[in-house]
Amino acid sequence: MTEVLYGEDNTVDRLLHAFSNTKSTWNVCANSTGPSVSMGVEPIKRGMIDLKERGIRIRYATEITKENISYCKELMKIAEVRHLDGIKGGMAVSEKEYVAAAVMQEAKPVPHLIYSNVKEIVEHQQYMFETLWTKSIPVEQKIREIEEGVNLGITEIIQDSHRTKEVFIDTIRSATDEILLILPTANALLREERIGIIELLIEAAEKRNTQVKLLTPVNDLTEKTLQKLEQKTEGNKGNIEVRRVELESEIKSTIVVVDRKASLITELRDDSKDNIVDAIGLANYSTSKPTVLSYVSIFEKFWNQVELYEQLKNHDKLQKEFINIASHEMKTPTQAIIGYSELFQRHPEKKKQMIEAISRNAIRLQRLTNDILDVTRIESRTLNLDKEQFNLNDLITSIVEDYRSQIEKENGNVKLLYNKPKSNNLLIVEADRVRIAQAISNLLSNAIKFSPRENGIVSITAKQEKNDDDNNNNKTNNQKIIVSVKDNGEGIHPEIFPRLFTKFATKSSKGTGLGLFITKSIIEAHSGTISAENILDRERGATFTFTLPLSKKQQQHQEQQQQKQHSNIKKISNYQK
Amino acid sequence: MKKERRILVVDDEPDNTSVFSMGLEDEGFVVDAFTDPQLALSAFKTGTYDLLILDIKMPIMNGFELYEKIKKLDNNINVCFLTAFGEGYHEEFRRKFPAPSSYVNFVRKPIRIDELVKKVNEIV
Repeated sequence: MTEVLYGEDNTVDRLLHAFSNTKSTWNVCANSTGPSVSMGVEPIKRGMIDLKERGIRIRYATEITKENISYCKELMKIAEVRHLDGIKGGMAVSEKEYVAAAVMQEAKPVPHLIYSNVKEIVEHQQYMFETLWTKSIPVEQKIREIEEGVNLGITEIIQDSHRTKEVFIDTIRSATDEILLILPTANALLREERIGIIELLIEAAEKRNTQVKLLTPVNDLTEKTLQKLEQKTEGNKGNIEVRRVELESEIKSTIVVVDRKASLITELRDDSKDNIVDAIGLANYSTSKPTVLSYVSIFEKFWNQVELYEQLKNHDKLQKEFINIASHEMKTPTQAIIGYSELFQRHPEKKKQMIEAISRNAIRLQRLTNDILDVTRIESRTLNLDKEQFNLNDLITSIVEDYRSQIEKENGNVKLLYNKPKSNNLLIVEADRVRIAQAISNLLSNAIKFSPRENGIVSITAKQEKNDDDNNNNKTNNQKIIVSVKDNGEGIHPEIFPRLFTKFATKSSKGTGLGLFITKSIIEAHSGTISAENILDRERGATFTFTLPLSKKQQQHQEQQQQKQHSNIKKISNYQK
Repeated sequence: MKKERRILVVDDEPDNTSVFSMGLEDEGFVVDAFTDPQLALSAFKTGTYDLLILDIKMPIMNGFELYEKIKKLDNNINVCFLTAFGEGYHEEFRRKFPAPSSYVNFVRKPIRIDELVKKVNEIV
């Protein structure tokens, strides 16, 4: 039988009748007005106390608020009470009967009541109640929150995997500022992609400008997914960051934290399953600050650890590469020296040629050894500078002359030009003469090497200029010297350009790729800067430019000169008056 | 008359090609040496050789790439790779050419000329 009863007397009667029919459990699920109806309407209250005295288990899920807190406390004496946010209407169900009220007023009997003892309806309502009961939280926590005026958040264990999946999706959807996500396995990433998590992450980053950080193990199948995420990143100011974990992860749960306000930790039960619902175990959802922030901290530790590991691995790779290339480069001239010295005896007629070749290769070996030693010094930060005051103009002039005679000796066809400044004293520096010479030589020999065999032109220009990028307001040393080396070769290869000044960047089969790395280190050790650009107009070629600060003494000297000139002009103009 | 033994040497370092060919010619081999793998490939198409001596690390076309092209022309050609690198190249070779039908040898640079000659005499 299912019916609707009208009138307070009728509804109370039917309720009390249902109480008396109850044998083991009475389950209530009602909005925040519910407790006042149960505890504020005398006959109902007595009926419930009677239930309790008969040993019947009463479970009561409701929304606990500031207004109903006293009714709730009273209710707690006879029933197990739990809290559920935003619950609507009211219903109660025993083993055999079901009642429900749509309208409830504070501390008043309900005006209408739906009643049913139809087995199917009762069972359906029992199931509904059980579902809501597992979703609710202990009342003590909610009461503390209300009374102490703090938001303690909630912590909830979710047993039902289907619900965990929904909570997972809702949690990601709710994020506005930040999503932190750690996955236990590569398969977890694939499972989550299947339920649309990847799309949700992209949507969060693109539409809500949410920062997304994902830490995940990888396998052959995950790369496509991750690239999809990272492609979105490029167009979106790096909102999505992915770090790949290569080590066997010790984390056996999916950890997601959003906006530092909510966390969901889901245990991994069976990684072989394709469906997320079959793969996961218990989950722990929390909005409690200490819990959520602990997971934020765990996330950050792992995040940084992965980066450190990457750096270490990269360093290791570079080190191996260095040894490999260095040994190859050393063996090549050694082979020539060994070969020629052996053949030397048998071919006296080629003596001159062979000695030249031996000496050329010995020099190459020496240069390489020096480069390797320099790199070692730079990397161990023991590149010491022996500074003195000298005129860079003289140094460049002498280097240029050396190269000219070398080009001539080798019957080269490259023209080497030096555009010196008008005044001789504009290029006084306080620097390590040998190191600066090395830097200039490196740039010049590169320029010559990459100039065309016919009509090659290399020009070096030096001038003094006011330092306009001086943001430290430091009056002294605001004059700098600019030296640029220009060639008319093919220009810097685009593949090399981004790592031009790093070790082993070379397109030449002969170079070690260490020269520009050393040059940059030398210039920077002198507080200078170095840059390169390709010439893009009608002419071809590349220009390398470095700066060095003008020596302090020279700077002061120039300032004094200027003041003198200034006062002389004054004198003259006074005289003219 | 003793049969002429012909060797094709390819190494991007002119000093190396010159040292190797001089050393081998002294022992009666006929040597064609190239620093450019493309030219070496053309030479192989027109000439006949008993052995290839190939450098591995070369710009434009490395020793393995050149060998792959030559193998298509003559699957039974013997080859001796010269390398200034460590063991890594053996693995790479095995991956690229799992079952070579001819004699393949690896020699590390630097090598003394008489050692090279001894090795070549073993193969040819």
